[in-house]
Amino acid sequence: MLRFVLERLVGMAITMLLVSMMVFVIMELPPGDYADRYAFRKYSGTGVSVTEADVQAIRVELGLDQPMVVRYFDWIGGIVLHGDFGQAFAFETSVVNVIGDKVWLTLAILFTTLIITYVISIPIGIYAAVKRGSAADYGLTIFSYLGLALPNFLLALILLYFANRWFEADIGGLFSSQYKDAPWSLAKLWDLVAHLWLPAVVLAWSAVAYQIQTMRATMSDELNRLSVTAARARGVPEGKLLWKYPARLAINPVVSTIGFDVNRIFSELPIVAAVLGLTELGELLLRAYLDLDMYVAGAILLLLTFIIVFMNFISDILLAWLDPRIKLGA
Amino acid sequence: MLSVKNLSISFDTDEGRITPVRDVSFFVPQGKTLGIVGESGSGKSVSTKALMRLLPGNAKLSPESEILYRTKTGHELAIHSLKPSSRELGRLRGGEIGMIFQEPMASFSPVYSVGNQMMEAIRLHRGVGKGEARAIALDMLNRVGISNAAHRIDQYSHEMSGGMRQRAMIALALSAGPALLIADEPTTALDVTIQAQVLELMRELQQDLGMSMIFITHDLGVIAQIADEVAVMYLGTIVERGATRDVLRAPKHPYTQGLLKAIPSINTLQQRLNPVPGDIPSPSERPSGCPFHTRCPDAIAGVCDRKPPREIAVSQTSAVRCWLHDQDARNAA
Repeated sequence: MLRFVLERLVGMAITMLLVSMMVFVIMELPPGDYADRYAFRKYSGTGVSVTEADVQAIRVELGLDQPMVVRYFDWIGGIVLHGDFGQAFAFETSVVNVIGDKVWLTLAILFTTLIITYVISIPIGIYAAVKRGSAADYGLTIFSYLGLALPNFLLALILLYFANRWFEADIGGLFSSQYKDAPWSLAKLWDLVAHLWLPAVVLAWSAVAYQIQTMRATMSDELNRLSVTAARARGVPEGKLLWKYPARLAINPVVSTIGFDVNRIFSELPIVAAVLGLTELGELLLRAYLDLDMYVAGAILLLLTFIIVFMNFISDILLAWLDPRIKLGA
Repeated sequence: MLSVKNLSISFDTDEGRITPVRDVSFFVPQGKTLGIVGESGSGKSVSTKALMRLLPGNAKLSPESEILYRTKTGHELAIHSLKPSSRELGRLRGGEIGMIFQEPMASFSPVYSVGNQMMEAIRLHRGVGKGEARAIALDMLNRVGISNAAHRIDQYSHEMSGGMRQRAMIALALSAGPALLIADEPTTALDVTIQAQVLELMRELQQDLGMSMIFITHDLGVIAQIADEVAVMYLGTIVERGATRDVLRAPKHPYTQGLLKAIPSINTLQQRLNPVPGDIPSPSERPSGCPFHTRCPDAIAGVCDRKPPREIAVSQTSAVRCWLHDQDARNAA
């Protein structure tokens, strides 16, 4: 197992290196750079005429005159060695200051969503498979098609409306107004939890529907295996039997798509965040692109891909733990 | 110790109700082996699954069906009326009746070691701790002839060879100490050398442990080696039963005779094989009257296709269901 984990870690490091290069190239792709943008911002409408030499001076000041390779190594070196993601030009501070809190909030939304997804879909999928063909099974199937069909920004609006009406809750955003700028405390954490469930439920909705169907299908297959009948013939009590034998294998496709789920959550998050008024990374990424604030955009892209790659790593480890045949390479 | 009376099993399927087992009765004496022979689809596996209540949810036992079992403690148990989640059923499965299957590879879970699955069964039925359960499992693996058991116990089934896997499967089924072992074609997937070894092993274990056994096979040769009594099944009905020696020496039913004739022999090497003509009909197209009359060389037109024959005792130990042996009823009809 240790060898397997080490192999995957090395694989992950190589992937991240390649990803960082790609991110850097993507950052360079838009025409112009922040020096152009800065000059335009500063002097447009002032009547001052800006020469190419002026822009070049700004470029030197910001360090953008160096060749791309040099800047890449500066950038990645700073990240790996000092956790320094560079300068956020538009905010005139460091990238870490700009994205700091938002990273944690995005992660909080991500993990809450994942937990809700799996905690709901796995037991329900198992239940539906065991009760296959019953009224409960058909009801759950209808629910999951509904879940797949409903766009989640619409669901966000509906939930927002009812949460507000029934709980009279100020439910938009991630914090109540009195905690918004307050330092971290237990009360603030609790306030976050009270706000987090809504975006998490919205984001988990379609994944729950999808994973229930996956779990139900694989569980139905696993239930028919001879090893399950054999275990039943040895007198293993039904509840324990279901978890120990068929569920452990049936969970495989759910675990192996954790990375995809993370990816999907990241791509749906900006829309949901816009509807619910959340602070998260997606909106900032868009703004950074518009401003050509490349180190902010780069840091966000790098973090998001790192989280996806890392969750894939976790999913690999979990798969190997669930099915020992994987690490044997059989 | 186990007696089955008038067992009928039907399934509700999309194409309607089928009844793959009809009115089957047999008895397994203490310490003896009952062999059940039949082609695929004859209902032999389904009837033994019913003994442990392992049939799927769409299966129904008829109201006349009776499965009576005497436990190791001498307690009479009506298996047919046990509740699916009852503790008696949990104790019965594994602890009283063990089962081994045709495919050892598929009957082990691939994600737990052989030892893990053995210790689970031992702890369930013997109420011992982890350490003791492991010792019992090791002892059992040694007993079935697995070399280097201390190493093998932590292996997975896919790390073992076919013969060894079948031995491990036997060890697993016996580890909880059942009094009756149901073996569902345990040697079919093995080559003949290994098959002989496994049969030998099962006979030894049966004697050592004083177990009763139900041995399902389609191979009369295997029956001759291992069974004290034999029941020949055709389309869900026992057509002939009796002491193995009697049935194999002097078969009464045309089906048993056909099966015996179909076995290639060293004396008939020059001849072509002599199969039972025709195919076994599907349970949904069961012939009227005697189920075998469509393939029977001696079928009596107007009799065999009308009414199913009753069971006729032909000696003290054997009985047959065939119109050829029921002169009285034939005359009366």
